[in-house]
Amino acid sequence: MDTFYDAATRVRNKPILKWKEEGRSVVGYTCSYVPAEIFHAADILPIRLRGIETDGMDIGDTYYGPFICSFPKCILQLAGKGMFDFLDGAVITPGCDAMRRLDECWRKAGEDYEGILPSYFYYFDVPHKTEPHGMQWFVKEIRNLIDSVERHFDVRITDEKLKTAIRAYNQGRKLLQTVEDLRSQAEIKVSGTDVFAATVASTVMPRGEFTADLEKWIQSIKQNKPLKNGQKRLMLVGSISDEIDLVELVEKDNHAVVVAENLCFGARYESNQIPENGNPVQALAEHYLGKSVCPRMYGKYKERLGFLKDKIECAGVDGVIMQNIRFCDLHGAENALFERDLEAMGIPCLRIEREYGPLIETGRIKLRINAFLERIS
Amino acid sequence: MRPEMREYNYDWLMGSMLHAASRVSNGTPKETELTYRYIPYFKNVAQSFIGAGEIGIQILKLFDRYYENILTAHERGQKIAASTFCFSPSIFYAMDIVPICMELLTALGNIVWRRGMFDYMDYGVEAGLPETSCSSQRGALGAYFAGLCEPIDFIVCDTPGVCDTNANAFAFTATFLDKPYYALNYPQVLGDDRSQNYHVEDYKELVRFMEAQTGNKLDYDRLGEVLQEVEKQDALIADIEDMHTLKPTPLAPIHNIALYAGKFTFSGNREYTRLLEMIADSAKKRVEIGASGLKTGEEKLRVYMIYIDHYTLDMNFWNWFDENSVAHMGGMLSHHFRDNIEYTKALEGISYGVDTSSPESMFNSIAQMNARLPMVRSIRGPYDQPNMWLEETLALAKNFRADCLIYNGTPGCRNTWANVKLMVRDLEKHGYPTHIMNDDAFDDRVESWVATRERLEEFFQVRGLL
Repeated sequence: MDTFYDAATRVRNKPILKWKEEGRSVVGYTCSYVPAEIFHAADILPIRLRGIETDGMDIGDTYYGPFICSFPKCILQLAGKGMFDFLDGAVITPGCDAMRRLDECWRKAGEDYEGILPSYFYYFDVPHKTEPHGMQWFVKEIRNLIDSVERHFDVRITDEKLKTAIRAYNQGRKLLQTVEDLRSQAEIKVSGTDVFAATVASTVMPRGEFTADLEKWIQSIKQNKPLKNGQKRLMLVGSISDEIDLVELVEKDNHAVVVAENLCFGARYESNQIPENGNPVQALAEHYLGKSVCPRMYGKYKERLGFLKDKIECAGVDGVIMQNIRFCDLHGAENALFERDLEAMGIPCLRIEREYGPLIETGRIKLRINAFLERIS
Repeated sequence: MRPEMREYNYDWLMGSMLHAASRVSNGTPKETELTYRYIPYFKNVAQSFIGAGEIGIQILKLFDRYYENILTAHERGQKIAASTFCFSPSIFYAMDIVPICMELLTALGNIVWRRGMFDYMDYGVEAGLPETSCSSQRGALGAYFAGLCEPIDFIVCDTPGVCDTNANAFAFTATFLDKPYYALNYPQVLGDDRSQNYHVEDYKELVRFMEAQTGNKLDYDRLGEVLQEVEKQDALIADIEDMHTLKPTPLAPIHNIALYAGKFTFSGNREYTRLLEMIADSAKKRVEIGASGLKTGEEKLRVYMIYIDHYTLDMNFWNWFDENSVAHMGGMLSHHFRDNIEYTKALEGISYGVDTSSPESMFNSIAQMNARLPMVRSIRGPYDQPNMWLEETLALAKNFRADCLIYNGTPGCRNTWANVKLMVRDLEKHGYPTHIMNDDAFDDRVESWVATRERLEEFFQVRGLL
């Protein structure tokens, strides 16, 4: 668990530094639509770019305008401060307007701050639809990304290597699904904070190391004594979050435990295994684009509501906390619809708008969470 | 929402007002003056349009007709489609559908009402749109959420990945009102074969969606007629754009809004052609005598708006240009990207053509035309990439010999607020003094017009421009 916490709470964590000491490359990416398997197949460590550990916003605010979500601003801030100097590459995707503009902001900041722009800097154009032409576009984008990685890093990414990578990632997915099953049980043996730390760690650790550690941890969870009785079972959903301290805040005082989440960094599609045979590029495309239903895929609200309802039912959720980072319209608007529909089904909901990053609003958020817990007690 | 706001059907309210306004000038000048006495709250805005002569009156007639279409659509058995400003209504007219451009409705409400669209915007938030979402959709949509409008039948937009706040507002509306929804999606590049094919494939899906909603197949003869009208309009626009480059420009500031308001409402319709003919004729007359289109008769400075205009009460923004002898050289909304226009030659792949020789060519034409509308054309990709915002702005600023540039938007505009500082830095490096307006183009509560005007004037003074 210590490895997971280290990986989940530090940008420059031990697994990444060890990887670099071995002279191997690291590439960061901004969105869950990037197939990490491509980099794994090239013996490059793929990591999700994160904004934790920021202690100011002077650089983020210089390049971005004022009405922009603090998540990409925090990434830019860290980049500007040299916290990502271990990166050999970065892949930017149009996850949302603010995230896609990280491409320009980082490049322009790179003109002012020497050495902050990785030598490999790539824009990965993910479409917003899964109809045949959208899928075809995405397949081509994946192929272009593979070609580009091969050229820049002088590597060869064969179909066989991709299939091996898919198998490795599937193994991790399967184990994360086991964790999801464990946390959903009536007798809870693991805190939401621990689970979230493990899930976030999966996005920054070498896959083999992560899977081995996860396997051991699952065995230890099974030996755990059940947590205190009477805690409210909560679900956490909404804007992008990789902040362990947010989940910790919800669970503080032992009045509640997070038994499920629907967050970009959390466990979401772990039950979906990528086919290990056949065309690996097609399989990656169908998984990463075809199976993802985050709000950037407009017009799929019913699927997302269905996904939430299944999780709520499966994990016996007592209430749902919906958070959105200020200026995140996608989740802000969707949370309102979720609240309307879930409350109508008798599921209590709490909507919170907040800033990403160091929990500067701990008091306010905790107060609202406590009031919510009181309401559902 | 205040109870009294719920007493009036919003469409009827706007429609009746515009109908009356479009007839004010039917009387003698004395009668018109007398009418103003009875409409103290609307006097200034009425004067702004009617004072602009036959073109201003034609704009009022155009809006009157637009609302009449909305209010009578269901009686006539037509479907109503909610859509957005960067979506050509031509396809709706070709399929006998009545379109609603939400942003235009919000802008109109702001311009004519002292209370602006504030109540409706706030109701949009009550319904669930974030207060940080774009006010341009939130205003008119608030009235729809409150059930104060002719019900829409389905929704189409084309902004996912170009303007997420726009796409999100329509996706939210689809769920909130339980209406069918289709969104075109554009790649982050423009002009290459791959993206051109994507435009066509996606547009085919859109037409299938609309055929399913209306129960009618697309009639290619009718599409041909609409596109031929577009041809006429494009030719007129090309002439107007040419004349607009002259010094002094023969165009009045209000002509810029007429160019795009007409396109967003009646592209492919005779109404818009008539408006363009009037603008072209009046411009030609001024060119012949070397006269400026400004009311003062003098052109001191030329400003190009790199994004959108400011839709504050009484057309005050456009009036400011007129009163200060500043020529409005258009903006992202007003300029046009047909392949017969001079400035498109500097931007390979940015323009579209119209070919009505076969169903396939018509389909390609309308899909590519739609992909060249404001925002979806040049905000789709990184601002400094080929054909995108920076290149487009520099080409237009050069073509129209702008002295300075101004950015105006809404706080809800993530896609430009995320990179406008970079954009302005680059434009300044290219020698253009550039001002960022910090207001909300559709919501004067964010910054009052008086404060906005003072900041504008401060910019011109500090930079030694006026």
